[in-house]
Amino acid sequence: MATLTATAPRTIPGALKQPAVRKLLLLALVAAILVPLANARWASGAWPDALTVDLSEPLARTSDWIIDNRDSHPLFLYFFGHISNAVVLSVRAVYLVLLAAGWAGVTAIAALVAWRVAGVRLALGTAAGFLTCGLLGMWIPTMQTLALMVVAVLASAVVGALLGLAAGLSDRMDRALRPVLDTMQVLPAFAYLLPVVLVFGIGVPAAVLATVVYAAPPMARLTALGLRGADKEVLEAVESLGSTARQRLLTARIPLARKELLLGLNQTIMMALSMAVIASVIGAGGLGDRVYQALASVDVGAALAAGIPIVLLAVVLDRVTAAAGERLGTERKSPVHWAYALAAAVAIAVAGRLAGRLDWPEAWSLNIADPVNRAVDWMTAHLYSGVPVVGGTAEWAGHFTTWVLDPVRDGLQWLPWWSVLLIVAALAWLIGTWHTALTAVLAMAAIGVLGVWQPSLDTLSQVLAAVAVTLVLGFATGIAAARSDRFERALRPVLDVFQTMPQFVYLIPVVALFGVGRAPAVAAAVVYALPAVVRITTQGLRQVDPAALESARSLGATSAQQLRQVQLPLARRSLLLAVNQGVVLVLAVVIIGGLVGGGALGYDVVFGLAQGDLATGLVAGAAIVCLGLMLDRVTQPTERRTKKGA
Amino acid sequence: MSSTTTSSTTSGSAIGTTPVFSVEGLWKVFGPKADRVPADPELAALAPAELRTRTGCTAAVRDVSFDVRKGEVFVVMGLSGSGKSTLVRCLTRLIEPTAGTIAIDGEDVRAMDRTRLRELRRHRAAMVFQHFGLLPHRTVLDNVAYGLEIQGLGKAERRARAAEVVAKVGLEGMEHRRPSQLSGGQRQRVGLARALAVDPEVLLFDEPFSALDPLIRRDMQEEVIRLHREEGRTMVFITHDLSEALKLGDRIALMRDGAVVQLGTPEEIVGSPADDYVREFVRDVPREQVMTVRTAMRAGDCGGPGHPGALAPDEVVADAIRVVARSGAAACVVEDGRCLGVVDHERLLGVVAGTEPHKEAV
Repeated sequence: MATLTATAPRTIPGALKQPAVRKLLLLALVAAILVPLANARWASGAWPDALTVDLSEPLARTSDWIIDNRDSHPLFLYFFGHISNAVVLSVRAVYLVLLAAGWAGVTAIAALVAWRVAGVRLALGTAAGFLTCGLLGMWIPTMQTLALMVVAVLASAVVGALLGLAAGLSDRMDRALRPVLDTMQVLPAFAYLLPVVLVFGIGVPAAVLATVVYAAPPMARLTALGLRGADKEVLEAVESLGSTARQRLLTARIPLARKELLLGLNQTIMMALSMAVIASVIGAGGLGDRVYQALASVDVGAALAAGIPIVLLAVVLDRVTAAAGERLGTERKSPVHWAYALAAAVAIAVAGRLAGRLDWPEAWSLNIADPVNRAVDWMTAHLYSGVPVVGGTAEWAGHFTTWVLDPVRDGLQWLPWWSVLLIVAALAWLIGTWHTALTAVLAMAAIGVLGVWQPSLDTLSQVLAAVAVTLVLGFATGIAAARSDRFERALRPVLDVFQTMPQFVYLIPVVALFGVGRAPAVAAAVVYALPAVVRITTQGLRQVDPAALESARSLGATSAQQLRQVQLPLARRSLLLAVNQGVVLVLAVVIIGGLVGGGALGYDVVFGLAQGDLATGLVAGAAIVCLGLMLDRVTQPTERRTKKGA
Repeated sequence: MSSTTTSSTTSGSAIGTTPVFSVEGLWKVFGPKADRVPADPELAALAPAELRTRTGCTAAVRDVSFDVRKGEVFVVMGLSGSGKSTLVRCLTRLIEPTAGTIAIDGEDVRAMDRTRLRELRRHRAAMVFQHFGLLPHRTVLDNVAYGLEIQGLGKAERRARAAEVVAKVGLEGMEHRRPSQLSGGQRQRVGLARALAVDPEVLLFDEPFSALDPLIRRDMQEEVIRLHREEGRTMVFITHDLSEALKLGDRIALMRDGAVVQLGTPEEIVGSPADDYVREFVRDVPREQVMTVRTAMRAGDCGGPGHPGALAPDEVVADAIRVVARSGAAACVVEDGRCLGVVDHERLLGVVAGTEPHKEAV
């Protein structure tokens, strides 16, 4: 198709010379032929029934078969069974070790590790973080989550590093893995839950494996990137000294990739935490489960008490691993100090044991649930509605639903199905290549074939509304931050914290403010996606060639002209990337919003899990995958994005 | 096919005659089905642009032949894209040549298996790179010891040997710094030390000083000259800087579009350029710094007994000018107590002006 347009005759009028116009014309031509045909055959607004394939029957049979054979079939007995047992045993072992160390021991060990790899300030922060977890009465769930995390992160890091090593050393492996890893990065976490539940059932093994599948890709990507990105001349120098391939790998390539490896580990840990919390839906237990239960009964206080430890854990893990990466190679750490640190930690743990204070003392717990709930009640009473002039939060949510979400959803569902496909094709082709357009259209069509056209469009309407809000706020904030150093400095720590928080946590405050429904899901998605959009926008605008800006200034351009005529056009690629990231991140949270009344696909997944109706859940999961693919491809600029923002 | 001119005169005193490297008809062609280009005389004769359109191939090195003699500094000089860096990498097969032969001490390099080739790289030829190629996560000492580590030497021994070399290149006291804490010149000293530490037969330099500031570059050139004087090691030196080539080289091979245009001593290159390209290249060279009095003199015995001035034939014209200007009279060129000829104002001015009768290249 691309070649067709390229060889168009030279005498075409000026407008036709623009590739965008040519693409649209060609598309219109294709549509003019196909649409009447399709319309004549399957005239209907929604996806025609004739074109759907009902998968629930075979899926239900598959799931029944698996449930029936889980204890007898050799595949489960000798393969999945062993994996499952190994996971359960190792999580249990780590959990017991953590409990045996006691709260004093765990805090001391964590603080000392942080001190050795990241410095005194982070060590104090780590200790404070752990003590706060105890103070909130969440010590046991924190340890449960931590045990699950330790096992999942270790497994993810090993799997990811091995895949990355393969992709880093073999070009063929790289070509095969890269599209898979890229696609996995854009899929919402929820999509990973059902396949593992199908195989392992609800429980810790499923939770750990879903976490591994979700968290291993960044490690694999960054390992491959590090191995491939090594300075060519250094490798040549190493080869010129007569090294063997093994020596090259061990003494040069892997050490040269240390920064990427640690960054990969950092991202893996963050994604694992995010998933370990979400996986409470499939039996992960721990902090996520507390949040999940609390949200189910709209008990914001209890949700917050479990949510704060999650955030603390995320911030501590992120800062410590990131600081370890930055401090790489600046100083030699003597093993003696490590020995001291270890001895001190063991001493504290033993002291805690001897004092008989293994469990966090009941008397030291601070119950924040009640005061928080009182505050929420007060908010419900005073802020929800009837606030003079501005109106209440519930009113906002209601207005947003009736004025924005409903019209968008109804509009989408009213559109004939083929026109939705056409819009998708046109957008994807204009922004990307005909490859991305084709994938996007096929993914959208697959949603129709799966028979979940209506709920998918519902989800899509929420995504579109959330993305629109995110982009308006994000671009405005990003432009402001790019123009004012002061503002950017003030903004940076806020963005840092927001970007480290797991998706799940965002649901807590929005439920407190807006109650349940579609509007709070959208609000959570906006808050989650905003930091990445702001950051990419700011970076893109700041990276604009200073010489171009200077020349515009020397010609007497006003700052508005500079922004409109120089900065924004030159930062086009970053802005498109911001849109892409915004869409991907928004989708992830809109889906999770199914837990707080967002409905649509996310609700189908939760419903499927809760009711044991795996068929419904799996179909919804597949639709989420397709929707994710479609949204990513539609907004994908010609070049691949670098990494996920969260 | 190239208008290669080989010098018949040898210059310098410590240079023997056994070639260390002997390169014969070497080709390196990049592109699809590269093998057919050197094999087909018609394709081999094509100009670079035509070759690219006809075959999609680029010939980085075209039919290059030369010998590197023991103990000499052999400079390969050319502008960027002339194929000189590819050429030096072909010598140890960091880039696999397409056709031709390479021999080190008479042993065929292209026929070597992997083990033998590793031996060559470990012990016989070590390379210094333009951007240093240091391992950022190792200290200076461990970088210098790296070649020895590759060879399997124990930690204590390799560190002791590395420490010696570090001292030799003037980096004492910086053993425990990391490359990122060093200046460009110091980094290249580490690169040089790493190559020296394995005590190779030949040192290969790939534009080692192009990334350095002019003043530091001069220091490093002096350092190389000093090392060469002290150790007499054979060196192959790649550069795009003509003055560097003239300063360091015992012989220079001038490359253009992958082929050697002229090969000779600095004096031959400057004094009798092989073609207009070389002439244009050396036009601005201060000739009195390169040409020797042997070229400038009027041959024949002065007849007198005193030999006023008594210049050695290898001295450059600039020195002769100083002598002649001081005495105000012609000076004799003397070798082994025998008078070879006489230089006077007229001959010396002729060299500076570039109007002296050209000695035809052989």
